[in-house]
Amino acid sequence: MKIGRVTATVVAFVTGFLVLLDMAAQQSWGDIFGISGLLVRWATIITTFAVLLGFVNVMTVHVSRLRSRKPCTIYSAVLLISMLGTLLLGIGGPTSTNSQFIFNFILQPLEATFSALLALFIATAAFRAFRIHDLESFFFVLFALIVLLGQLPLGIYLWSELPMFKDWILTVPTMAGIRGILLGVALGTIASGLRILLGIDRPYTD
Amino acid sequence: MVALVFILGFILLIYFFTYRIKNGYAPILRPIRAFEVLKGLTGRAIESGRTLHLSLGVGGIADETTADSLAGLAVLNYLAEQASVTGVSPTVSMANPMVMLYAQNTLQVAHANDPESAKEASRQIRWIAPQPIAYAAGVMNMLAIDEPEANVMVGSFGDEYLLMGEVAARREVAHIGGSSNPNTLPFIYASAEETLLGEEIYAAEAYLRKRSSHIASLLAQDTMRWLIALIILGNIIIVSIRN
Repeated sequence: MKIGRVTATVVAFVTGFLVLLDMAAQQSWGDIFGISGLLVRWATIITTFAVLLGFVNVMTVHVSRLRSRKPCTIYSAVLLISMLGTLLLGIGGPTSTNSQFIFNFILQPLEATFSALLALFIATAAFRAFRIHDLESFFFVLFALIVLLGQLPLGIYLWSELPMFKDWILTVPTMAGIRGILLGVALGTIASGLRILLGIDRPYTD
Repeated sequence: MVALVFILGFILLIYFFTYRIKNGYAPILRPIRAFEVLKGLTGRAIESGRTLHLSLGVGGIADETTADSLAGLAVLNYLAEQASVTGVSPTVSMANPMVMLYAQNTLQVAHANDPESAKEASRQIRWIAPQPIAYAAGVMNMLAIDEPEANVMVGSFGDEYLLMGEVAARREVAHIGGSSNPNTLPFIYASAEETLLGEEIYAAEAYLRKRSSHIASLLAQDTMRWLIALIILGNIIIVSIRN
């Protein structure tokens, strides 16, 4: 077995259990070890370096795309120019006037515009999802229609009990389903964590 | 203290079921169609001469989304092993640079015997942007330009999932989606052909690689679930009788 693999596994095991014990201790006896906060801060520092590597990855991918002269290379050129331009203009730091201008007048409006597309996409996705092809999709459509009509003022004229029925769907079966999913997700998350702590999963080794 | 006892019980159950499986016990796993489809995607990509796209989502590796990111990496692990044999490496995208490093490591491990193909596979990893919306824009662009044969999205996603999922659906790309976020599940249901809902995403290693310790982990989860359900039911009955 490689020495690097053993070291990585031991470090993961020890750190994992220290953080776990620290979390448990915080609940019962307050902050005893104080080590989990420290390790999370270290992780933040490592993430910062990872961003630099991500920057290199973006550069490499798009420069090679430009070289290969694949279709739509113009987008790669625009991306590289924008990235390097932002880097140069942002040399003064994130609070500098140039950086603030880029964030407030370019990045944020673009993100807001893109987010607005969601409304359109929800409509087209709903249109496709509302095609009944089996029993499951039938119930999906039925409940979606009840909730939709229950939200509208028109619904009460169709059936006076509709808003109440809509509330029941949202608070009883939907909530029960969500709680079931969350319980499963919590158990799945714990199992994933334990597999790493026990060395069954070792995504960090070579 | 209760949490530690719970975790200790969980660990014992994992070891107990691993021991049983290694001694011949063969549990029947309920079929999950998404994993069956996933197994055939590399073959489809070879036949069509196109790539596969795997999105690892917008989650990180040192926060509450870690388990979701690891679930995506488990899918990558399987596809990378297939790629080491077939030579068809998936294009992998993510929003978190730490996840990018893990993805690079996964591909390098899978191609350990061939450094040249490891280098080639690593070129298929794309860190796009840390902001979810910007990441979605990048993936939409990739789906439109690269025209992959299949799009697999397993990891942590928010509302931006729909932006990417809809592009895949409109282009009629084979699409598998999975997330543990209940708010994203309707979007996955509406746009993906095959879905991995909630905890199903954590079962990738057990279903795809059939490792005994992972199957044991699923059995431990099931036992714990029954235990919690019985405790909840028991409490309901006790409270109802008292009132």
